[in-house]
Amino acid sequence: MKQILHIFAKDVRRFWPEILISLAITAAFAWLYPTQWLTMHLSASPPRITNQLIHLLLLLVPVSWWLLISRLIHAERLVGDTQFWLTRPYEWKKLLTAKLLFLVLFLYLPIFIAQCLLLAVAGFHPLSYLPGLLYNLLIITGIIVLPLVALATVTSSFARMTLTVLGILCGIAGILVLSSYVNMEHFTVPNEPNYALALVLSVCGAAVVVQYAFRKVWLARLLLIAPPVLFICISEFIPSSSLSLIDRAYPRPASTADAPIQLSYGPDAFHQPRAYQARRANEVEIDIPLKLSGIGEGFAVVSDGVRVSIESPSGFRWISPWVPVYMTDYLPEDKDSYVKFTMPRDIYDKLKSTPLSVRLTIALTQVQATNITNISLPSREFSVPDFGNCSPSQWMPSLTVIICHSPVRQPPLASVRVSWSDSSCSASQTEHGTGVPGVGWAGKLDPDAVPFGIDPVWEFGVFPSNSNLYEHREHPRYLCPGSSVIFTRYKLARRAQISLAIQDFHLPAQQ
Amino acid sequence: MNPTIRTESLSKRFGRTIAVDGLDLTVPEGAIYALVGPNGAGKTTIIKLLMNIFCPSAGRADVLGIDSRQLAGKAFNRIGYVSENQEMLEGMTVGAMLDYFHPFYPTWDRALEEQLIRQFDLPLKRKLKHLSRGMKMKAAFVSSLAYRPSLIVLDEPFTGLDPLVRDELIEGLIERAPETTIFLSSHDLAEIESFSSHVGYLEQGRLLFSEEMSVLSDRFREVIVTLSSPSPLPANLPASWLQPQTVDCVVRFVHSSYKDQATAQEVSAIFPSARDVSFDPMTLRSIFLAIAKSNRGATFSTSHQTAAREKIA
Repeated sequence: MKQILHIFAKDVRRFWPEILISLAITAAFAWLYPTQWLTMHLSASPPRITNQLIHLLLLLVPVSWWLLISRLIHAERLVGDTQFWLTRPYEWKKLLTAKLLFLVLFLYLPIFIAQCLLLAVAGFHPLSYLPGLLYNLLIITGIIVLPLVALATVTSSFARMTLTVLGILCGIAGILVLSSYVNMEHFTVPNEPNYALALVLSVCGAAVVVQYAFRKVWLARLLLIAPPVLFICISEFIPSSSLSLIDRAYPRPASTADAPIQLSYGPDAFHQPRAYQARRANEVEIDIPLKLSGIGEGFAVVSDGVRVSIESPSGFRWISPWVPVYMTDYLPEDKDSYVKFTMPRDIYDKLKSTPLSVRLTIALTQVQATNITNISLPSREFSVPDFGNCSPSQWMPSLTVIICHSPVRQPPLASVRVSWSDSSCSASQTEHGTGVPGVGWAGKLDPDAVPFGIDPVWEFGVFPSNSNLYEHREHPRYLCPGSSVIFTRYKLARRAQISLAIQDFHLPAQQ
Repeated sequence: MNPTIRTESLSKRFGRTIAVDGLDLTVPEGAIYALVGPNGAGKTTIIKLLMNIFCPSAGRADVLGIDSRQLAGKAFNRIGYVSENQEMLEGMTVGAMLDYFHPFYPTWDRALEEQLIRQFDLPLKRKLKHLSRGMKMKAAFVSSLAYRPSLIVLDEPFTGLDPLVRDELIEGLIERAPETTIFLSSHDLAEIESFSSHVGYLEQGRLLFSEEMSVLSDRFREVIVTLSSPSPLPANLPASWLQPQTVDCVVRFVHSSYKDQATAQEVSAIFPSARDVSFDPMTLRSIFLAIAKSNRGATFSTSHQTAAREKIA
């Protein structure tokens, strides 16, 4: 213990300027960040310079850690053969412990205090969210601190470490570009264990221990490089490996009647198949209209992913990979929807004039309402149990939305039903009761235990439907104080995979 | 008595380069052992192997009875190491550095530390990065002598120092000699000749010989034979005669196995017409020059190296 404190004290004396810089940046972040939460309130937007400063601080906090970690580890660097400490009675476990103690006191503790302060400012008691805060620190460890420590142990100076970090960032960018080219978008199975975090923690931890215990630089470097490369190759470039996972997570129902929702191909006067240019030049996005039915009262259905198989009379077949579906949550009263997917332009051109057999396989999650909170919309902040603190906010001059903060992570999946008023809120109160219904969704069914971030407060807006924001701007609708707002939280009922066959389907002409 | 350092077939490769090749070395307790050899001979590599800074490719080394690969932590309480290119705590003052190292060593002697500071005239309040090379070496010496180590390992400690600083350091070192074993490397023979008790000669990673300084001095003689008339060198001279050359009536060579009467008889037998024969003691520098030159005269194939080693030993 004596040696640990002795090395620690030496590092504190030596690196007090770096410590002060890091503390000052963290303090500035904790002080300024809450003003960011007001950016969605039109009337209370902070000055642009403050916003830019906050974004800069979000970058500077990890950069200051980078500097601190490099200086700390390189003070007794592990690469090279001329370091003074190699022939002194340093014990590696004590040296490593001294470095960890330094990080705990000057990196983890300040950010932990800053996060507690931010929670308190947002109206949440920090001690109630201690496990989440600690898990957040674990994620920060896995994504920032431990990789930086590991890189510092296999490099000899800040300059070399910086070059290595830049090289790794370029490598990751290259893999992402290649991955997007090879595999488009990924559909991940819910509740899939966080293998990446576990991998990072274990390989970086192993490399650090190997370096401190044995100073085997090339072994440590290999440890840092090989497993992640292998993992990325497996997860990014061999998508079929996850097919069995998807089949397990989304079993097929025993019968059509047993499905959580009934789907049929449903073109009508208002809903027609559409085709338009996708984000990538060589792809076309297709929308297929669907009719919905069979969602039980008290239930909702979330569409998670889709896979499309198209076959021409000549026997040519195209099967898409599983791709995620966004913003498709269905309530019992919903009757129409679209399923969207992209296909390569050359295949689209080849098949567009031919009657096709299309098979849509959709991964669905059925959720069941649990808690319902009915609130008469106040004009100030209000608390929704098991959800967060919300307040009506002037999003645009003609539109009020509900802005919420939830502590540490996203709230559970919830629908928010509101009642729009066609007249302004200054009109008589009697008009408000008979409003236009609107539904918005917020939260996540399988929220991450804690999302990665330095900010511990999750801020989000609820944008209910039928606001006339986009389609009938000349007739804006208003969310007035006193109107009813119903928060319905959902829990998982089951997951299922259902298929829909469409015969004689013609790909629509591109718009 | 157990040797302080013992190596057995110690080897170190860096890729295809053999830096140390099958080194068998013994440093007895209490010795002042000088490992000498030209630049690039492998002296620093051997020291780094002994200090567990490098890991051997083959063979083993024991230092103070500990396998060098296990040398870590508390084992360094008994070892003082100073190297010409070792990094120091540059941002600290001399006093702060000594205060920092002090708690690591249970045997740190404050009185000895103060004595050495006075002896070396060290400025305690100056930062190490502002010190001259000589002053830095003095500070390194104090930080490695103040805990009375059982073994002091010095890697080219006097390189680039002015004679005054060098003498001060040697003096400080000699004062510690009775209570410790000193192992140092150098390519400057003159500086180690005055105080070394043992010497080993290293060339191209191989130890050509290793013995007590007195034995070495006794063994080598510069032999000058004056003949009655000029004559060419006879063929098949003994292998222990290094660099034989003749000018007019004078034959000159270095005898590497001098044994008083026996050598005189050997010379007389080869040069029966010798008018005068002198056997002059040699300085260490002359001995090593003779060895180095006789080796460089040969092509360094393995067989030649083996022959050279046999000839010298």
